[in-house]
Amino acid sequence: MNMSSEESPILILQALRKEGYLNLLLFGPYEIVMEEIFEESVKEVASTVGLKSEEISILEDADRAAEELLASEFERYVTRKYNPEIKEVLVKYNLLGAPIAREYGGRGARQIVESLMLERLGQVGLGVITLVDVHQCLGSLAVQEWGSEEQKKKYLPKAASGEILFAYGLTEPEAGSDPASLKTTYRKEGDGYRIKGSKYLISNGSVATHMIVFARSSDSGQISSFIVNTSEKGFSVEIRLEEKVGLFTSDTSMISLEDVFVPKEDMLHVEGKGMAVAYSALLNGRIGIGSGCLGVMEDCLKQAKERARNRVQHGKEIGKHQLIQRHIATIASNLEACRWLVYRAAMKKEEYDRNRSDVRLRAQADRLSAIAKYMASTLAFDSADRAMQVFGGFGYSILSPVAKHFLDTRVARIYEGTDEIMQLKIASLELGKDFEAYR
Amino acid sequence: MQLSLEGSKTINLPRERVFDLLTDTNFIASSLPDAEEVNVVDKETIDARLKVRIALVSASMKVRIKLGERERPNFGTLYVEGSGSGSNVKIASRFELLNGSTTTMKWSANVEITGVMAGLGSTILKSFADKKVTEIFDSITKAMEKTG
Ligand SMILES: Cc1cc2nc3c(=O)[nH]c(=O)nc-3n(C[C@H](O)[C@H](O)[C@H](O)COP(=O)(O)OP(=O)(O)OC[C@H]3O[C@@H](n4cnc5c(N)ncnc54)[C@H](O)[C@@H]3O)c2cc1C
Repeated sequence: MNMSSEESPILILQALRKEGYLNLLLFGPYEIVMEEIFEESVKEVASTVGLKSEEISILEDADRAAEELLASEFERYVTRKYNPEIKEVLVKYNLLGAPIAREYGGRGARQIVESLMLERLGQVGLGVITLVDVHQCLGSLAVQEWGSEEQKKKYLPKAASGEILFAYGLTEPEAGSDPASLKTTYRKEGDGYRIKGSKYLISNGSVATHMIVFARSSDSGQISSFIVNTSEKGFSVEIRLEEKVGLFTSDTSMISLEDVFVPKEDMLHVEGKGMAVAYSALLNGRIGIGSGCLGVMEDCLKQAKERARNRVQHGKEIGKHQLIQRHIATIASNLEACRWLVYRAAMKKEEYDRNRSDVRLRAQADRLSAIAKYMASTLAFDSADRAMQVFGGFGYSILSPVAKHFLDTRVARIYEGTDEIMQLKIASLELGKDFEAYR
Repeated sequence: MQLSLEGSKTINLPRERVFDLLTDTNFIASSLPDAEEVNVVDKETIDARLKVRIALVSASMKVRIKLGERERPNFGTLYVEGSGSGSNVKIASRFELLNGSTTTMKWSANVEITGVMAGLGSTILKSFADKKVTEIFDSITKAMEKTG
């Protein structure tokens, strides 16, 4: 797209009001070619909130990385294997540390840029999104938002370069939707702590170098969070959960912690405030999953349109049958509806990032991220279901480009807060604290 | 399903030599990758059975390759038509040879796929086709350079 000359006068005037976009205009004719639907999103965001040239270059890298990941994701998906190339390609394009601040070796992507990046990667599939979302939103950003200066200097540059890959260990066999009931414990010993327990359904679990672990003090019962080195003695992968319904290219494991030692400087945030870390990480993560789901809907739309234009039945392209058009129209509407929800949540999160002490902003960002994740995951699943229908019998094969979205998006309605938990959260934020149903 | 592919390749041989090899059906027949059967019909035609594999999808395709319009040593065209395992493919390709200390070959291909394989969609097919075509040109270039 030519950002300098081919815009309508209204768009240019709107854009001129935004400092970031002005920077882009001053940058001169800036030709970028990206995947078509994603380019539309980038253009939309650039014309409303402004995108700077360095932000566009992150998105160009995301576009190239997504393109490069297509073949390996497809091959790994149909053979139901974890895809190690996801991390390699993201490192190659310097994207693994995209939201990490520049002073810690990242690219300083603000939330809307992070969301657009995940949107593009989501077109390839939720396997890619799961690795990135956990590493960046639940891992790196938790350290960036809650870590001490020493922790940030120690972990973030390596998380940006790929030397460190994060996992996030909140869920346990008996604590899922109610994580505050977790049973993993820690006790003080010498210059640190010993952690004992098990973590269940952990993405990146067997491939991560570090895990954010939440555990309960065996003395006070309070929950704290820790940065745990996975090569520490006592840390072991109990089961790699390979019998999943989908999400084959993402690693999901059950982890056992047998008196794993954590030095005291690796407690994340202050003692007893672990759930604050857990919930704020999930706020980031939910915008990430919502963004990835936008990419899924974009790919469903693209694939369904192509099939509808090429497949002929009853003497004409199936896209000329009105009931097929209904599926296409619904997928397109799902996508447009969710774009606004996800971008709005991202913008609210940015506002909160600039005013971290404002609890009202925090609550608004929390509410919007829950709504964005709930709607985008539900409508991405609906879109994948419709895209499969447009494909007919071949759609039911995992060789089709849409079956993986159908299988993978189902999990987006479960992890990082189920549909039900999201609804309860949204309702209680509407009705007030006295109405919190899960109390 | 239509795909448009293009690329370029540098070959350490004079332009005329590259042109002669790329329009020699015996040479093309000997450097076809994954060929199960090859039969040079005449100076312009080859019949072959090729194994095409994309991840778990494997198709055995009967193809006819035909040389088209050409001008020594500037350009040439090649047409491929094939079918098998419920899929059909038609390729119209063209190469241009540019002079320099080595020869630069610029090529483009319009591919039309119908049947089962088309179901994979152009996004996936294009990423595999790009990979496969690079492999094919690498192996043809090696074979050409070996002929000296
Ligand atoms: C592939 C995959 C990857 C995952 N990755 C991670 C990870 O990296 N890190 C991590 O910590 N966890 C991870 N999880 C775990 C995930 O977050 C949990 O599965 C999820 O939070 C639900 O918990 P649960 O499975 O224990 O279900 P449960 O909590 O047992 O819920 C079962 C059902 O009851 C409903 N329910 C529960 N409580 C209420 C209530 N109060 N009101 C109404 N309905 C209710 C739920 O919505 C659900 O429908 C992953 C899960 C999967 C499947």
